[in-house]
Amino acid sequence: MFKPQAMDKVELLIPEQEVVRVTEALAASGVFHHVPTRQINLAVPADHTGEWHTWAADFVALERRILIVMEELHIDEGAPPTQTPHIIEPRVAERDIERLEHEAETPVRELEAAQRRLVQLQKYVSQLEPIAGLDVDLGALRDLRYTFVLLGSMPAANIERLESSLEYIPFVLVTLRREYHLATVMLFGLQQDAAILNRAARSAYLNPLNPPEDYRGTPAQAIAALRAGIERTREHIIEHQTTIAHLHEACVRHLRHLLWRVRASCALAHTIAGYERVRRAYLVTGWVPTASYTALEQTIAKVSDKVAIEILKPRPEDAGRIPAALRNPPLVRAFEGLVTTYGQPGYGELDPSPVLALTFPLVFGLMFGDVGHGLLLLLVGLLLASRKITALRSMSNAGIVVALCGVAAMFFGALYGSLFGFEDVFPALWFRPLEEITDILLFAVGVGAALLSLGMIANSINAALARRWGRFVFNRNGLMGLIFYWSLLGMAARAFGVTLPLSSNVLTLAAFISGVGITFATFFERLIDHRRPLFEDGVGLYMALALVELFETLIGLLSNTLSYVRMGAFAVAHGALSMVVFIIAGIVGKQSSLGYWIVVVLGNLFVIGFEGMIVSIQTLRLEYYELFGKFFSGGGVAFQPLTLIPSHKMSTD
Amino acid sequence: MNHAGVTAYAAVNATTRALYSKLLTAETRQLLIQARNLDALVTTLTTTAYAPYLTLDRQALTPRRVVYQLRWHLAQGYDKLIRMTPEPGCALLIQMWRLYEVDNLKATLRGIATGASWNEVLHLLSPMARHITLTLDDMQRMLASGAIPRAIERIRHTPYYETLHHALERYEAEQNLFPLEVALDLDYRRAIWQAIHNLKGVDHEHALRLVGSLIDSDNLLWAARYRIYHRLSTQEIINYTLPFGYQVRDEDIRAIATSAEGDFNAIIKVVRRLYPDLEVVDDVTPQRRLAALERALNRRIARLCRKAFLGDPFHVGVPAAYLILLEYELRDLTAIVEANASGLSVETLAAAIDI
Repeated sequence: MFKPQAMDKVELLIPEQEVVRVTEALAASGVFHHVPTRQINLAVPADHTGEWHTWAADFVALERRILIVMEELHIDEGAPPTQTPHIIEPRVAERDIERLEHEAETPVRELEAAQRRLVQLQKYVSQLEPIAGLDVDLGALRDLRYTFVLLGSMPAANIERLESSLEYIPFVLVTLRREYHLATVMLFGLQQDAAILNRAARSAYLNPLNPPEDYRGTPAQAIAALRAGIERTREHIIEHQTTIAHLHEACVRHLRHLLWRVRASCALAHTIAGYERVRRAYLVTGWVPTASYTALEQTIAKVSDKVAIEILKPRPEDAGRIPAALRNPPLVRAFEGLVTTYGQPGYGELDPSPVLALTFPLVFGLMFGDVGHGLLLLLVGLLLASRKITALRSMSNAGIVVALCGVAAMFFGALYGSLFGFEDVFPALWFRPLEEITDILLFAVGVGAALLSLGMIANSINAALARRWGRFVFNRNGLMGLIFYWSLLGMAARAFGVTLPLSSNVLTLAAFISGVGITFATFFERLIDHRRPLFEDGVGLYMALALVELFETLIGLLSNTLSYVRMGAFAVAHGALSMVVFIIAGIVGKQSSLGYWIVVVLGNLFVIGFEGMIVSIQTLRLEYYELFGKFFSGGGVAFQPLTLIPSHKMSTD
Repeated sequence: MNHAGVTAYAAVNATTRALYSKLLTAETRQLLIQARNLDALVTTLTTTAYAPYLTLDRQALTPRRVVYQLRWHLAQGYDKLIRMTPEPGCALLIQMWRLYEVDNLKATLRGIATGASWNEVLHLLSPMARHITLTLDDMQRMLASGAIPRAIERIRHTPYYETLHHALERYEAEQNLFPLEVALDLDYRRAIWQAIHNLKGVDHEHALRLVGSLIDSDNLLWAARYRIYHRLSTQEIINYTLPFGYQVRDEDIRAIATSAEGDFNAIIKVVRRLYPDLEVVDDVTPQRRLAALERALNRRIARLCRKAFLGDPFHVGVPAAYLILLEYELRDLTAIVEANASGLSVETLAAAIDI
């Protein structure tokens, strides 16, 4: 639990004809982390392009076509399949898609046409309405002998330009109506200038009103006919929508299956295109958790007996590239997201998730101690973790974190004697922060010192795991750092009159020796690790930097410890904020009044929401900067087992 | 310049100057022009600010792909400067950036009209990741629709829809992309003109000089092209051009629009009146003269951009000038890459590039 799983580097030599089945088996195993193999130099050059690249590109195009049909039929992607679908050949998938496109085409196109017609008819009505009172046949307007008349719509921004372009020609442009950026206009001129007027109108994007024959006559007659036409078109639209709904029902399962099959095929083609080709075989390298190797070997053997698989000895250049597969129980796993937000744990270092799972709720609860508020957080957390709300399913891990924080808040709430801000419902099992401010601040410093020590111990363990003995002993966050820190804490405690089993002289001597160790840490580390030169930039510069280093360590330890005082301060602030809620409630009305209780409820919600958010941020800050900074570097590679069900859409770029 | 302006533009100015110093030197340009082949050209580019975009396998770097990769540098430049520039200057840079969106939209429409595949269209586009309204996915969906009217319906959510939807009637009547492209161009210039006028003080002054000059150049060249190549009527030319600009006035456009067909001298007369110091080549065909005029106008704008780096540095003109210069540099690089691929002579190429 505290360390990523042990990994084996494996290499597979897969015959060309088995590559699909073996890749599918590798993906199905869920334990194979593929890494691209380096170019190998054989007589026959490796083939990086070829059929698989082409297939991958084809599948991307096919996926796009399927998604378009699905969109037209209002079908969503659905959930990814639980079992990876088998590969489909692009030409087979294409035939299937063509058939589906053909089936969908007629009703979809007819619906689109009907919708366009509806918009067009509505536009005609809108354009004719301003001249509805005109008792003239529209057709007659078009055929006037001496006068040119053009009714239509155009972008309002073009009106001025159109007028300007006709500067030397007699004309009248009447704006009948303006809607958004379009204007309905009537252009009048002389019939002898019709050609010029038409070209000018067209270039100004004046689209003439040209309703079909059925909708002609006077404007009033045309409007009436158009309205009847609109009704008929609406009926047609409903008919087409019904047809599409039937098609939806008929095709939904098939289209979703085809989509995921094409996606899986695309992922497979991409994966194989990334393998190294060696004559008639593929060379594949990856990492497998040691515990899963035998199972993987058996899985491959079931699929093909022609695959050569062997464990490789990790090379020096693999250091830092080995994927880290975290293995934690569900409660701890919920905190992995918070860890990876900071950084990915490396293969050779401690997984900070268990430490975070222990300390995060503790720090949060200490600052947010209230049985009632904690209970609400617990309920919200359990609801999220239960995955009962579909839209919030992705937040199930966050739900566990919230629930644990709620439990910790309830625990500290019991210690502080606080229930929804009421401090007199039950006695405090320990003390009330608002009444014992010094005690809670000192307790917070104590917790801080313990957490910082935990960070230093974790750093020492990391150094020991990496066999960096110089760092283990002399690092400012290693053994010497820990002794130095505790010596200083002991000296401070004695100064405040605390009785300790160690004398001042012993503490001073320990602080001095460890201080010297930290001051010359780089020198000792290089000496122990056999690295030369011992003083990289000369003794003089080293001495000056070493003293600055010691001073910085001292200041750092002091500021890190005092940083935890905020935990006590927030515990006090939590009580104080609740008190303010009750003061405001008291101003609003008596305890028996409704107003009083409304303020209490809203105030509590405010405290939970507002202060809860601030306390969460502070907790995260303390964990990340004060604790993680001591031992966690976070530059590792995440273990990502090969999968053929992509979690995101394919892309060509 | 008030203190707020100084504070707001201090970081933008420092960053822009750092970016400005990374524009290609004359020596590097010469090396690029004289590169023996594409591989040598790419090798030279890997010693410049374009290096991070050319890490692909050399086999994948076709001339078209090289140009596409180089344009990522412009995308990164816009992204960085848009993020750093305070409002309302930032809005101007975003509007300048939208020009590439309009170009991408036009390229997609052309792709649909010619039945091109997505892979053929993709690397003709300008790469754009942020501050966009039209995504790569939108364009892919447009192309997949296979028809211009359906493609336009698929970008209902973008600011281009209304313009294209209204112009569609003409496309359907004429089966020509020209009305759609002109509508987009005019609409875009109106928007950027508005963005200039939303600025105040020294920001407005510099934006008007630089971006207004770009609008002037486009307007003049459109008018000239419509007269020389398309032989449009006076009314059409006026309607297809803009009534505003920094120095170009309506009467200048009108003078070109009313000139005799193919009379390039009328255009030159207008240009000389506007820019007396502009070097315009006289003794070649109208088509070549138009190309020469375009280069001369570009060089003039480039000079204006360099001048923006002198004097008061705390205004939007500095990042805008850098981005215009970077665009010119990319146009030159595109010409160099294409010429290199087609085996054009060094002399011809050197004369053809903008700056």
